[in-house]
Amino acid sequence: MSKDMVKLSIDGRDIEVPEGTTIWDAARELDIDIPVLCHSTRMRPVGVCRLCVVDVGARNLQASCVRPCEDGMKVETDTPKVERHRRMLLEMLLSDYPEDSAREASTGDDELLELAVRYGIESVRLPDGAADRPRGVDLSSPVIAVDHQACILCDRCVRGCDELQHNDVITRTGKGYDTRIAFDLDAPMGESTCVACGECMAVCPTGALTNQALGNVKLKPLNGE
Amino acid sequence: MKQVPNAMVEQRTTVGFKGVDSLCPYCGVGCALTFRVDASGERILDVQGRDGAANAGRLCVKGRYGYDYAMHPQRLRKPLIRRESSYPKQPLSGDVKGNGGGPRKPGGIVDYDEILPHFREASWDEALDLVANRLAGLRDRHGGDSLAGFGSAKGSNEEAYLFQKLVRAAFRTNNVDHCTRLCHASSVAALLEGIGSGAVTNVVRDIENADTAMLAGCNPTDNHPVAATFIKDAAVNGTKLVVVNTRRPRIADHAEIYLQIHPGTDVALFNGMMHVLIRENLIDREFIDTRTEGFSELRKVVEEYDPDTTAALCGVDPDDLVRAARLLGGGRRAMIFWGMGISQHTHGTDNSRCLISLAMITGNVGKPGTGLHPLRGQNNVQGASDAGLIPMVYPDYQAVDDPGVQAYFEDYWGTSLSPKPGLTVTEIMGAALEGQVRGMYVQGENPFVSDPDTNKVRKALMALEFLVVQDLFLTETAEFADVILPGSSFMEKLGTYTNTDRRVQIGRPAMSLPGEARQDWEIICEIGTRMGYEMRYESVSAVFDEFAGCTENYKTLSHENLGRYGKWYPCLDPATSDGEPIVFGDTFPRGKALLVPARLRQPEEHVDSDYPLILNTGRVLEHWHTGSMTRRSAALDRISPDAFVEINPEDAARLHVVDGAMVEVASRRGSIRLKAKVVPRVAEGTVFVPMHFREACANVLTSPALDPQGKIPTFKYCAVRVRPLEGASHGKEAMGG
Repeated sequence: MSKDMVKLSIDGRDIEVPEGTTIWDAARELDIDIPVLCHSTRMRPVGVCRLCVVDVGARNLQASCVRPCEDGMKVETDTPKVERHRRMLLEMLLSDYPEDSAREASTGDDELLELAVRYGIESVRLPDGAADRPRGVDLSSPVIAVDHQACILCDRCVRGCDELQHNDVITRTGKGYDTRIAFDLDAPMGESTCVACGECMAVCPTGALTNQALGNVKLKPLNGE
Repeated sequence: MKQVPNAMVEQRTTVGFKGVDSLCPYCGVGCALTFRVDASGERILDVQGRDGAANAGRLCVKGRYGYDYAMHPQRLRKPLIRRESSYPKQPLSGDVKGNGGGPRKPGGIVDYDEILPHFREASWDEALDLVANRLAGLRDRHGGDSLAGFGSAKGSNEEAYLFQKLVRAAFRTNNVDHCTRLCHASSVAALLEGIGSGAVTNVVRDIENADTAMLAGCNPTDNHPVAATFIKDAAVNGTKLVVVNTRRPRIADHAEIYLQIHPGTDVALFNGMMHVLIRENLIDREFIDTRTEGFSELRKVVEEYDPDTTAALCGVDPDDLVRAARLLGGGRRAMIFWGMGISQHTHGTDNSRCLISLAMITGNVGKPGTGLHPLRGQNNVQGASDAGLIPMVYPDYQAVDDPGVQAYFEDYWGTSLSPKPGLTVTEIMGAALEGQVRGMYVQGENPFVSDPDTNKVRKALMALEFLVVQDLFLTETAEFADVILPGSSFMEKLGTYTNTDRRVQIGRPAMSLPGEARQDWEIICEIGTRMGYEMRYESVSAVFDEFAGCTENYKTLSHENLGRYGKWYPCLDPATSDGEPIVFGDTFPRGKALLVPARLRQPEEHVDSDYPLILNTGRVLEHWHTGSMTRRSAALDRISPDAFVEINPEDAARLHVVDGAMVEVASRRGSIRLKAKVVPRVAEGTVFVPMHFREACANVLTSPALDPQGKIPTFKYCAVRVRPLEGASHGKEAMGG
């Protein structure tokens, strides 16, 4: 073995992993499901959504998707403090989420709404930031519908485009609340250099990038799939 | 307080779906995917990438959005027989009649109203009996060689195997071929000669282990898009790309060196690189001594190609040539990919010979990060070739003129077989024109659009006494048919497909057949049986077993052990192994590799003052070959609706051609009208026309001149002229669609 191994415990269970393994990956080996929105096993972790935070006994909570395991580390993934933190983050993300998530409405796999259910969040205490400044939709692509209001800036589409497909079309633009994803130098998607591979749509966890062809259907698995 | 949406939208129809693990039907990359299909099996809802060995969940625009052709209303649903009143045979639509013929309605897909009245619906029994009787009649009167068949590289291994068996055993001829002839036939000829095997030595994703990769005459971001993503991954991680192409491909943006050579000078460039490698002693002496033969002859020839003279001949900077050579040698691990820009020339075999020699003298075969990879075009062109859909060989490249092999297959198939190698695609068209080939079975190919020199193909198809076409749609070729049989699309069939990496994977049926359409493999068997040669199988997997049983490479495989993800061949122990991603570590099938030197030859066709530009043809990202599938996909058609010719800004200015304006492109064989796209990616003196658009068919222009070994036409080189069309200076006007 070329890498040194480190020993740690996650939720009281011991595990040994190669040095450099993230806490999130180590937890998966123990079948511990740490919620996350920005990370996917197909991608380089970036730690932007902070939903995967865990308590390692440090001064603040750590994003497990980017934090490497350390020898002797004691990780808690679901303490009340951690859960409170996640609920707050979810409420913030949901505060300006559109009424109709095109992903939930079509393929039923909106990951943000799934987490809202998992955390029992039925209403949001925060003001809707989009009430007087909606972020808009872009239906210029023949295949992909863009709803900026449903975008949580998780960066999955950016990495899907730049790092999986290397088409380098998607980026971010704007500052503060006006930050959103953009195509090329902020062209409409259908007029950009987008090659319509659909990777962004496939990796998007929310209703921000969805399949136009499913615009009026709701898919439901047959035979409990 | 804001309520969290629960996202039940009343306006939407709820559709139950099931997921079917299958493959992409388009290119040779062989991406694994899942079709989500509704309960009726009549509608694919969407496509999701699956974690296959070739794609790791990634897809391109065709794989993800190009599935709806199978659901197109123009799908053929019943067998059709040409009406008595529609003889003598003529092309039926304006587009197929050619210049000045008929009410012209250019653009888009076939107008069924123009074609269908010439045919009547028939029962399967009537249609199949007619086919069998007419083909058997020609065979009995004029001999087996009066018949020929074109199979398809889009079909499964099982279909390819059955098709060549039908032609050999029931037609009694070896006149069976498919579009490999238009694709990599010259690469395969060079590989069989050089190492004794036509398949790739290393899989695409092995590029992650390479220090250098040369991409010659290929345009992977358009033609092998998902493979291109792994090539770009490698470039990001430090692999140096050397890109050689007459027309700048997008992958050149990721290259260390881009060599935009003059068309047809490939051999000189590669010889020049070998000259540098030998002169600077960047070669692998031990590998040359132990694994190759013919080095001294090769050395003598490449000595003539010093970098300065060669670079001038090729139109590149001599320093770039030298740098490119250095990146391939000196113990660096280098991989060579190539495509149609290498193979589709009258010197296609020579081009490949040079690439093989480049790999061999630098010791770049048989270990990780090295090797020879001709990027296969069709999803199953590797498998169709392996299955013997080639006129000179039985399955597994066993020569038809070897008496021992003939005896083996006579025993295996229980009939007598012809010892005479058959004719190739382009030769069959010539023989039809001369009346030697009288009857043809064309399954899933569209030679009217795909073969060179359309005007000649038109005459050849008209000259046939009997033509049966089996396809999904009324293709341009079907206009010449006596009988048209409705076959099965990829999404409706079970079968195995072998990708560019030699990975054998199972495609599974997601949809039910439309109308009375039938499984292609069953139709082939029906024709054989009705011609007096029994072809009966219990299942598709039984066909696979018979095919695998007469090969070395497939003999360990079965539908059962291929499972959800398939295996690379060779695979000695499928129970424990995924197969071999890298082959020939110790020896080549022919023993030592043969280094075959080549000298630059003059092209068959010359540019002159009448035809001053060189035409290159190829594909675009969104379309597939003759467009019969992709132009019936709503998304793909919307993204890429029109034919176009790319022309360099300098040439455009000189010819008064404006971007978007209509122009005429003419060669010595014919002319087409289409929109000009003024772009610097094509070099001055060259133009590019994609092959997909029937209304501006690139092959009206191309030359049927062939490579002497591979018999592949020179799709990448013919002389043309371009002139602007008066009264059509704004591209928006004519040629919609």
